[in-house]
Amino acid sequence: MRTIGLLTMLLLALVVPIALGQPVTTADTQGKSVFRKANCIGCHKWDGSGGGGYGGDALSLRRTQLGQEQIVMIVQCGRPGTGMPYHLRGAYDDPNKPCYGMDRQQIGGHIPPEPTIYLRADDIKAVVAYVVDNIKGKGETTHAGCIAFWGAGSRVCNVYQDTGHEAAKPGG
Amino acid sequence: MKKLGSSIRHVQLLAASSALIALLAAPPGRAADEVTSERLLNADKEQGNWLLHHKDYSAHRFSTLNQINRETIKNLKVAWTLQLGGLEGGGIWTHGGLEGTPIAENGFLYVTDGWGSVYKIDARDGNGKLLWKMDPKTDHDWAGAVACCGVDNRGVALWDDLVISHTLDGRLIATNKDTGAIAWQRQVADPDKGEVVTGAPLVVRDMAITGVAGAEYGIRGWIAATDLKTQKETWRTYTIPTKGEPGIETWQDSNNAAATGGGSTWVTGSYDPSSNTIIWGVGNPGPDWDSEYRPGDNLYTDSSIGLDADTGKIKWHFQHTPNDPYDYDSVAENVLVDTTSNNRPVKLALEADRNGFAYAIDRTNGEFVWGLPFVKKVTWTKGLNSETGKPVEYDPKLPVQHYNPQATPSRQNLETDICPGNMGGKNWPPTAFNPTLNLWYIPVIESCNHIKVEVQQPGSFKPREFFTGGGPKENGRITGSITAIDVTTGKEVGKAETRYPMLGGILATPELVFAGEPDGTIMAIDAKTLKVLWEFNCGCGVNAPPMTFTAGGKQYIAILAGQGGVWDKWFIEATPELKAIQPGSMLFVFGL
Repeated sequence: MRTIGLLTMLLLALVVPIALGQPVTTADTQGKSVFRKANCIGCHKWDGSGGGGYGGDALSLRRTQLGQEQIVMIVQCGRPGTGMPYHLRGAYDDPNKPCYGMDRQQIGGHIPPEPTIYLRADDIKAVVAYVVDNIKGKGETTHAGCIAFWGAGSRVCNVYQDTGHEAAKPGG
Repeated sequence: MKKLGSSIRHVQLLAASSALIALLAAPPGRAADEVTSERLLNADKEQGNWLLHHKDYSAHRFSTLNQINRETIKNLKVAWTLQLGGLEGGGIWTHGGLEGTPIAENGFLYVTDGWGSVYKIDARDGNGKLLWKMDPKTDHDWAGAVACCGVDNRGVALWDDLVISHTLDGRLIATNKDTGAIAWQRQVADPDKGEVVTGAPLVVRDMAITGVAGAEYGIRGWIAATDLKTQKETWRTYTIPTKGEPGIETWQDSNNAAATGGGSTWVTGSYDPSSNTIIWGVGNPGPDWDSEYRPGDNLYTDSSIGLDADTGKIKWHFQHTPNDPYDYDSVAENVLVDTTSNNRPVKLALEADRNGFAYAIDRTNGEFVWGLPFVKKVTWTKGLNSETGKPVEYDPKLPVQHYNPQATPSRQNLETDICPGNMGGKNWPPTAFNPTLNLWYIPVIESCNHIKVEVQQPGSFKPREFFTGGGPKENGRITGSITAIDVTTGKEVGKAETRYPMLGGILATPELVFAGEPDGTIMAIDAKTLKVLWEFNCGCGVNAPPMTFTAGGKQYIAILAGQGGVWDKWFIEATPELKAIQPGSMLFVFGL
């Protein structure tokens, strides 16, 4: 029985994420974790759809045409003149000028904002891989994608369901 | 047996004595601690207590306590502090903050953190001892993703033997005052619709009045009353009319814009028992900056409204910025003052609006009495019509108002600077009124900022997505002031300039005015001269109003400290030094 139980659990662990349309790898898990802890959600939202409103226009990562290397550069160096922060420690203090060939003095007032947290190189690699594999080009946000991100039972996903939900019933 | 009998009598005597001592030493008994309608109606007379969010139903935030005065203020020091929780982030927010006003009753304090945990603190012996914490387990991601603007909770109300509070995820909770156990809770707002609740409840008789936030997410705003005895809804009044209701003619579009028209109500209102009227401020229309999406005056957005407390029916309204293209909410508290104007008695409702003008209206009918700018720079209009109180450029025949077109965001002027900036000349932080001096103190944000319009198309609204029609950007230094207005004349009498915007609110006492700044400066200024008499820097961001209370016959000043709201996320470039301020969660209490 124990063996069957173990096998069932292993099978479920493999099958359930695939059933949700989001094969989960270790890299994905790390990337998603970075996506959350670096507060990418704060502007791009959990599904990467971005949009306007307070905080300016955040790029839609779902519709972006940028390639993997370009996204790596933007995560490392930020986007000058916008609210997108740089995440590489010392990005504009490195004498090698890894960001747009400019140092702090040269970029002046256009320097991107400081990040919530700095990211290590493998964190940047993981979060960009997560964006490219799980967000870029994925079309409309789906309930399954939401559950894959937040987990089953999250009320964040209520609005993506076709049928009703068990949320608040004002007036009751 | 005799000895035993004697012992029993001795024990009985001891027990009786102990009970008597306990009775004398204990806080006033249960009956005294029950908060009745009568006590709330007379909250201003309970000198050492602070029973209502704004101290009294008139929202004066004035205490007659005067041990801490012009002479003694130099001796004011930290009496005790208490570390609170709720710092964690959720949704789009990296951390929670503190914006609440503590409630004080008989030496006990009741405070909240941003996620709606309630803390009961015993302050009777000159220290702060946490008695219990009620953690409502707020759904951080569900609510935090649509909380514009910040992880905030502005405090509790007391009723009977219960503590009444809100949560960001839309619940009204009643907590046993003695044990901290949740007695009951009710879902009032729906984050699935972009609705969250940040304001403190207002208890009127046996009802808890709830306001809602979410105009930036396309909600249709409302104010709701819950019967605290039956836990059922008594009434819910929408601030945006629907078909067949008065005011729907002010939504002239073909987009069904009223359905997503905004009109939040997230600042606790006031109550006039003489007319049984609840007076509440209503927020901006949505989408915020694309006013052509919603032609018409867009009632009752940007208005002060008077509601019948029994039915919730709107009795009168006064709209400050018709067809608002600036995000100039009127979600300010209305301060109720009885005075004279032109030698006749008037019952005023005072409101310091985000549009930069302070208004006095007749709270029996909503008619304009006087108004004046309280910020140093206003560019969106040349001023108010002295008869109507409307901006002089306002034309009721026009579907879309452009006021001063050069300083007004529109589809013809997609990027422009506005003054005041969209945070307003005053945001939610409350004013205070000294009835002896007849001075009304406004916590001011002296600002301009840059607005970019994003034209909205019918069908572009999505639930739980920003529906703002653009966004702001900071393009210059923002400072602040405490501005004093004489309510008998309607004239400004002084302005104490501050280095930073006033993001916390004001307390008035007979001789002093207290406030905090977001760099951690907590100050007392002279109520007449507005000169700074005392300062203390807590080394933390102050984002909440001070209050005062007594314990053991001694006066204390209390203030929550912990950078909250939106400033560090969206407005920090206007005050770059504040980037050094760390999130925090602390209660500071000062005494002589």
